[in-house]
Amino acid sequence: MAFDRERRTWLLSLASLPLLVVAAVVVNAWRNIEDYRHRIETDIQQGSGQLDYAGAAWRLEKVRLIGDGRDAQLRLPGEMRLIIVRMVATAARDIGDGWSQCEVSLVDGTGRRWLPLDVILSSDISRDLEPNSEPVKGCGITSLHPPHQDHAALIEEKFVVPAAAVSTLAVRLSVAALRPRAIGFPLALN
Amino acid sequence: MIPAVLGAAALLAALQATTPPYATLTGPISTVGRQSDTVSSDTFSVKINRVLKAKSIAYKQFGRAVDLQSSGVWVAVSAELQAFQKTVPVRAATLIGSSGRMYRQSRRAGDAPNVLSTKTVQPGLPTTGLLVFELPEDELRNMKLVLSEQYDPQLKDEISVSLETIETAPQARLEIRKDGV
Repeated sequence: MAFDRERRTWLLSLASLPLLVVAAVVVNAWRNIEDYRHRIETDIQQGSGQLDYAGAAWRLEKVRLIGDGRDAQLRLPGEMRLIIVRMVATAARDIGDGWSQCEVSLVDGTGRRWLPLDVILSSDISRDLEPNSEPVKGCGITSLHPPHQDHAALIEEKFVVPAAAVSTLAVRLSVAALRPRAIGFPLALN
Repeated sequence: MIPAVLGAAALLAALQATTPPYATLTGPISTVGRQSDTVSSDTFSVKINRVLKAKSIAYKQFGRAVDLQSSGVWVAVSAELQAFQKTVPVRAATLIGSSGRMYRQSRRAGDAPNVLSTKTVQPGLPTTGLLVFELPEDELRNMKLVLSEQYDPQLKDEISVSLETIETAPQARLEIRKDGV
């Protein structure tokens, strides 16, 4: 009798093994998919005015195109152009760590994506262009000290892009907690 | 029952024996090419312009002349990189010598002008620059240049280019300028 019960338990354990393996694979795959979703931007809310995202109202404050001689009378070599994007975010609530891993990028109509210049180079350019002003911080640094409720934060990022892509560019912003959701503003540069 | 258990054990043993190691499964996505071609991966491409070797290299840093000697040989590779879909910092470059030993870019020459590892490649803007290595003279045959975003990439592109052997003796001095060599 005891032998039968032990044998039944053993068979049940053996039969359940494939199910447990499948369950482990599914759970692991689900975690990986969730991690991957928090690194991509697929659900883009586009707008030209003000957009609500990550507990704040975002708007495009100013966009500069430098390198063709029109702004700052500066000419960059060949097709190279510098784009400076400023955005303002007015917090509707205390942000806390809600903006962590904030990412800003430029995208064109074909899906190409330009990432911002690093902090050191960006600050050097700011000091060259506006020697008397303190460089405006990027989204990553601002996310460490986000604004309190009803306060606003100014964010600036700089990009190097080819001249041919300038007219189709849009800025895109996302934070880790909300990805794959992101917001985007067309730059409307000519 | 016993044949079933033995069969399952044999199947598991076969699966275990044929499963690639984790390092291979998560290793780089390799693209291989020759120096005469533009070698393209999904994310970036490389075109080798020149490969030069010298006993010493010279350049200016903040107006000060820098002259670096070597008990081996300096190898300077001039290359053009292109990024396709996204900004790519190509930080990692390794030269594999004829013995199979791997030489990373020289830190001694890390502040030379126009070095590619300090640049970021933007889509639509081909970027030219230099990769500078220091290695023993007997390593100069059948060299291979390996480029990637970072050293030991995992599931990221890695381009490997076979370099043509330079038969001539190393030049005594190679001057590196802001616009290249």
